[in-house]
Order: sequence, then C-alpha cells, then structure tokens
Amino acid sequence: MKIVRFIIGVAFFGAYINTTQAQSDTAPSLPPSGQLCISCHGAQGQGMEPLGPRLAGLSTEYLVKQISDFQAGHRLNATMQPMAMVLQGESVSQVAAYFSAQTVPVVTAELRGQHVTFTDTAARLAYQGDWARELPACVTCHGPSGLGGGLFPRLAGQQASYIKTQLQAWQAGTRKGDVDGMMASVANKLTIAEIDALANYFANLK
Amino acid sequence: MKSSAIVLLAAMGSLTVQAQAETEPVQERPDKQAPLPSSPKMSDQTYLTPRSLSAIPEGAFGDKVRLGYQLFVNTQQLRDKYVGNELNCVNCHMDAGRKANASPLWGAYFAYPAYRKKDDKVSSFEERIQGCFNYSMNGKAPASGSPELVALSAYAYWLGMGGLMDEANISGPVPEISDAELVKGAKRDDFPVPEALAKAMTVEQRANLPGRGYPEIPKPEQAYSPERGKAVYVAHCQTCHGVDGQGQAIAGVYALPPLWGPQSYNWGAGMHRVNTAAFFIHENMPFGKSMQLTNQQAWDVAAYINSHERPQDPRNKGDVKQAQDKYHNDSDYYGVTVDGKVLGTDSYPVFPKKS
Repeated sequence: MKIVRFIIGVAFFGAYINTTQAQSDTAPSLPPSGQLCISCHGAQGQGMEPLGPRLAGLSTEYLVKQISDFQAGHRLNATMQPMAMVLQGESVSQVAAYFSAQTVPVVTAELRGQHVTFTDTAARLAYQGDWARELPACVTCHGPSGLGGGLFPRLAGQQASYIKTQLQAWQAGTRKGDVDGMMASVANKLTIAEIDALANYFANLK
Repeated sequence: MKSSAIVLLAAMGSLTVQAQAETEPVQERPDKQAPLPSSPKMSDQTYLTPRSLSAIPEGAFGDKVRLGYQLFVNTQQLRDKYVGNELNCVNCHMDAGRKANASPLWGAYFAYPAYRKKDDKVSSFEERIQGCFNYSMNGKAPASGSPELVALSAYAYWLGMGGLMDEANISGPVPEISDAELVKGAKRDDFPVPEALAKAMTVEQRANLPGRGYPEIPKPEQAYSPERGKAVYVAHCQTCHGVDGQGQAIAGVYALPPLWGPQSYNWGAGMHRVNTAAFFIHENMPFGKSMQLTNQQAWDVAAYINSHERPQDPRNKGDVKQAQDKYHNDSDYYGVTVDGKVLGTDSYPVFPKKS
C-alpha cells in the first residue's frame, strides 16, 4: 500500500515537474500589474466563484477586448472597471496571453448532428436554437460544446453563476461591445428559465 | 436510442462500401445553379412550418430522414469523399433547411423536378443536390440514388410533407415512399400525396410555397460596388467571417464559414452571383438579424465578397474567357478584371483533398 502510494506520488510529482518545465519554456509569464488579477481569478486564472470568472482558456483576443471594454465603459462593473484601468500598454496583452495559456480540463467537442433530438431544452437551444424567435444555435459562434475562439468566449466549464449574470447584463445593457448588438439580440430573446438552463448546461459540460 | 445508433452505424458502413464501388465520373452539364424564383415577401405572410425533429418516426424511413438532417448540419463528414471545402449545407440554409426565406429544403423539394428552358432539360431533386455538391461544396457529387442523396431527399420530403399535412389538417405520420420516388422530387402529377392534400392544393401551388428561395430585393440605386462593400464588410461581417474572409474554425469546425478563397464555394455555385448573395445577405445576415442592412449595403457587400478569387468553375475547360461566355456574364465577377487581375485565372483547385 505504502509502496503504491509512493509510486503514485512519484508519478504525480514527475508529471508536475514535466508540466511546469514545459510551461516555463513556452508559457507567457504574468507581468507585475497582473498580480492584482489573481486575487479574484486565481493564480492560474481558474476562477473563484463568485468573485471572478475563469479566465484560463479564453482567447487572448477575447481577453484584450474585454479589458478594453471595461476601460471604455462598454462593460459596467464596479469592481472590474477600476481594476482594468490599472492595466495599460503592453501589460494588457501580456496578462491576456498569460491567462489564455493556462490549461483547462479537456472537453470533448460534440458536433452538430450527433444528436437529432434533445430532451434537454438547454442542449437543444445550444445546438439548434429556436428560429421561430430568430434565435440561432449558441454553437454557431461559440463553437462545438461552446469551446470558444477568437472574439467568442469559451462557455464550456465557465461558472454557471457568471454565465447567468452576463446574459442578464446583455439584457440590461450593462454589457455591450458586440458588433451590431448580436449578443444582446440573442440574450434579449431568452427567458430567465432558459438563461438558468443554459448557464448550467455549459458550466457542466465535460 | 442504442438500436438507432447501431442502425445508423450500419448505414454508414454501407455508405463506405457504396462509395468504393462508385467510380463512374459525375456527368457534366451546363448547370447554372439557377435559383428558384421566390415569391415576394408580404408582411402578413405565413409560412409552412415543418414538424419538430422529434416527430421523425422510428424505423428505416425515419433513419433516412435523420441521416439527411445529420448530413445537412455536418456535411464535413463527407469531406474528401464528396465535399472539397469547409462548408456545411446549413451555412446557407438556416435552421437546418427549415427556415422560410433561407432557401428551405421544403420549398425546393416540392418545386422539383423542374424544367429548365436554358438547358431544355428537366432536373430532378437529386440532380439539384448534386449541383450543390459539385459547386457550392466544391466537391464531387454522390451518384444518383446513393444513400446520401436518398437521405437528403428524405429529409427534405419529410419537412415539406409534414408541414403541408399540418396545414391541411391531415393527422398521422408522413407517408413513407420509396427511394426511387424520394429522389425525383414532388412537382409531378404522379407524386404520391394523401388524397386530402391533393384536393387542398394543386401540384403547382405546392411548387410555389411562400418562403421558397431567398426573397428578391430591388436593384440598388447606385450600381453595386466592391469598394463600398468593403466598408460594409469591415463594419458588419468580419467579426464572424474574418478580416480575410476565411471564416473561423473552432475545434476544427467552420461554423462561421469562409466566404472566398480555397475553402469556400466555387465559381459555379449559385452564391457566386452578386444578386443571389445580395438576396441571401439582406434576408439572413447578420446572423440572427440583430440589425438590418439596407438594400444598397447588401448589394455592395455581396459584390465585395464575390469579387475575390475562389475555387475554379468545374466547367472551365482551360479557358476563362470561353467559360465566362458560356456560363457567366450573369451578375457575377468571373472573367472580370479586379485589381489588375482577371478573376478565374488564378482560381483554387476543384475538389482538393484536405489531408
């Protein structure tokens, strides 16, 4: 038993060394001004519910855009707006690159058509939308399983409470910055029950 | 669920066998991918509503309908077999071919076979889909009667027939018809329909369902201009389709499709025409219709998108001018000089392998 534990311990330690080495070779480091972020978002951007959402695995492009949206007042948030002002110049892209490079659990992408019908309302909205309301499928922009890319944030594994507050912020107009109001248009068509269901659906994707 | 998955796998297995046996070259013909004339949009118009996908019956017929849906939303499963770009049918036919005014499958199904004056030829529904594979998908069409064409026809038929039955208050499942009937399309006197439906609507009425095709918009006030179109593109399109028009892939899937270049539709596709693209864009873009482009903006941005190089017209026999004279000069940029280059002379390959 003890030996087994020892072996497992060594194996894990070895893996730990390997990953940290691999990261130190290639991964960007957090600039001093970014140290502020980790108190709410976690040292690896893993998120600390309900203080701060997960940043790990979001694209650099998206994170840079969000910092600039907070600075410009397109996203209204009493905590984040002053925090975002601290980041200026190249530290914005450095912070974004750091959190973007942090690893997130692998989620297996479900492709469109893998299911023809859905019993879960949220899954149906995610994959087929509801065109009677001009509501497109979430995965059209956010990618299969909401894995995200470019300006479209990863939803898979994000905190449910955060997804919910954001959809409500789009509805309330306290979050903007989307081209032609595309995301606001989608959010405004969702009921509160659908928002809850979608938030839980994406948060729990494995 | 499990049993239907097994049936599906079995079906896929037979597809592979079929494909390997299929070596006959696809027949070439002067197909212009002509759009179906659409009926004018009216504000109080109601449209056919297909049944929910959960109403697709169990069994062999339902499996064909389901496979049709799956091929339609994930056409990339046919990449390198019949598909030569990164597109999926659903890119141009919203809501998986169910949405009115987005060239719905149900509208097309009941409009074929269609006689084409230009070719003096009657095209069946499966021949029209073969055109999609050859041009829109920049690939090589599956053979007539192949499982893929049967499945896509079955899906289109099921969407249309279910919707028409509901409109005529005819209850019960959509009647199952043979593969040979399915691929021909429904615009013919000998097409099997429930008696009550035959009484309620003529073949001609069923062939002209409101919401068919992309609704036409008036000609632009100023001649369309790619230069002005570029500004529209930058403001309203590039977030999703990319600065370079090459779309965006997430997890290998281009849900946001490339609009020009090697991975988009080729010079023979209907969408390469500025009018077709303008009609599509005005009605269906930006996605989810969060704002409305003006008619002029739709024409201009369609001109911008379609004045870029894309895969070659498969009917080109080596001479752009000849292909232009025979198949183009039709509200399009093939053979036209843009930025000092004749479009079509530097086109990308037809049906390139991905791997």
